[in-house]
Amino acid sequence: MSDRTPAIVVEDLVKVYKEKSSSPVRALDGLSLRVNAGEVFGLLGPNGAGKTTLLRILTTLTRPTSGHVEVLGYDLIDHGLEIRRKICVVLQENSVELFLSVWDNLLTYARFHSIPTHERKERARRVIEQFGLDDVANQKLIDLSGGLKRRVQVAKVFMVEKPLVFLDEATTGMDPINKRATLDAIREQSRLGRTIFLTTHILHEAEELCDSIAIVNRGRCVARGDLNQIKALVERVFDISITFDSISDSLLNDLQCLPLIKFTRNKNTVEMSVKGEEFASLELLSTIAKGATVQHIEVTSATLEDVFVSLLGGSRQ
Amino acid sequence: MIVAIMYREFLIRSTSLTWAFFDMVMPLVYLLVFGVGLDKSFASGIEAHGTMLSYKAFFLSGVLSMASFGIAINTSYGFFVDRDNGLFYEFLTYPMTRSQFLVGKILFNCLLSLGQSIITIGFGVILLGVDLRWEHALLIISGILFGTAGWFFFLTPFALRIRRNDMFNTFINVVYFVLMFASSLFYPLEQLPGWLRTAAYANPLTWHTDVLRYATVSVGQPNTVMIEAFAFLAFMCASFWFSVHTLHRGVLK
Repeated sequence: MSDRTPAIVVEDLVKVYKEKSSSPVRALDGLSLRVNAGEVFGLLGPNGAGKTTLLRILTTLTRPTSGHVEVLGYDLIDHGLEIRRKICVVLQENSVELFLSVWDNLLTYARFHSIPTHERKERARRVIEQFGLDDVANQKLIDLSGGLKRRVQVAKVFMVEKPLVFLDEATTGMDPINKRATLDAIREQSRLGRTIFLTTHILHEAEELCDSIAIVNRGRCVARGDLNQIKALVERVFDISITFDSISDSLLNDLQCLPLIKFTRNKNTVEMSVKGEEFASLELLSTIAKGATVQHIEVTSATLEDVFVSLLGGSRQ
Repeated sequence: MIVAIMYREFLIRSTSLTWAFFDMVMPLVYLLVFGVGLDKSFASGIEAHGTMLSYKAFFLSGVLSMASFGIAINTSYGFFVDRDNGLFYEFLTYPMTRSQFLVGKILFNCLLSLGQSIITIGFGVILLGVDLRWEHALLIISGILFGTAGWFFFLTPFALRIRRNDMFNTFINVVYFVLMFASSLFYPLEQLPGWLRTAAYANPLTWHTDVLRYATVSVGQPNTVMIEAFAFLAFMCASFWFSVHTLHRGVLK
């Protein structure tokens, strides 16, 4: 639950990478956003949009070229250490001690975050169980698969209790069961009042987890709000799937005359996308249903993916 | 926090006993093979700062400074290992200052360097009969600890800015070669050509070796050695500042 106190405030943030061999790259170009304490915040955007640069700045890994950033009330430039005391981070790159066991990876991480000796083992046991790492707990990471390494990396942040957790593409490379365990763990962290800042390409994860979302492109914020506000930014689009007993030529003609933005047919099933308000779609359906026997019908509204594609200049088709 | 970093360095070292073994015995091998060989070649001994002494006694301090330099190199290579593991950037998000990170990293390795020096000195005294100035023990220990730290801080900005392991390797080979042979590590400076002697006197490896030479076998003028000791401390502090600065500003641009 958000208490509306900002955990992160970013104002007019600019980051320019100066390359010797090429012209400067403006990774962030006047980006502004606000993340409220206690919420799960999703940062979405295509590759090269500036997500990782923003995450690196917020986690004190790199400095902005200009602009103002506050994390948990601390100015980023002057209070890097105070910020690091209150955050934990899962970076996009794999980051594990390859020559240590799963167990030692967790204990070492806890030691770095000043978890008292007597608590470390207990927490490690809990996290190992939570992430299904029991069978490999004593194995060195170098001997584990990429997915398991990622699982250990994510599991580490659940060893500590920090008010702000950064997760950069946390579920990348995980199988569906572990992805589910990770999402559950994130939800649990959120319930405990922690602020979760996640970047992801997997839009249904963002849809499932996030209280608020920002979409960035070319270093700027192009949309911001909760899921419904974000969805409202694009014209309403409904996907309709109808399975008929049979499809006559006249029905097919009728269907193709409708103002659809997408139409596909697979045997007796047709899939269509239509723009418009809800009632207009229902009207359309009743017209179609009069001329044939409908076995199955399904109507879905715009997904975050539709919004994403629409806002970033792509086409639904 | 520094203890946590030291403990992590210990864990990493303990996963590669081969690495640790060679770190511990390589200087000794140098002393036994190179030192003994040249000792026989200079049977009448060599003169340094107006004092005649055996080559093995002269070379003991050279081996100790090489050992400090070697451990500093291995520790700076650790940045590449951390980068390969993806841990380097994660460490920088941990609740510690950049200075603590560097100090923690080198402290354990300073202890390793000290252990290695004890083995080398022990063999030098027992097997080779070097007459060690035990009353300078504190100076020897300081020379080894500050020497290891100083060289690590010197190499850190290069390890952070040079992204490729092979390029860093080449850089280290060149730097080590130049620093070693343009210094008092292998030979006294008095007989060298003027240009090389000047370069050697400006070389922090000479300062470090001269302090250790004075501490181990009392060769050198105390005043000069004191100046060299302070010069090395200044070099260490400047290198430390530059390393921290690089971590603050230069790591990810």
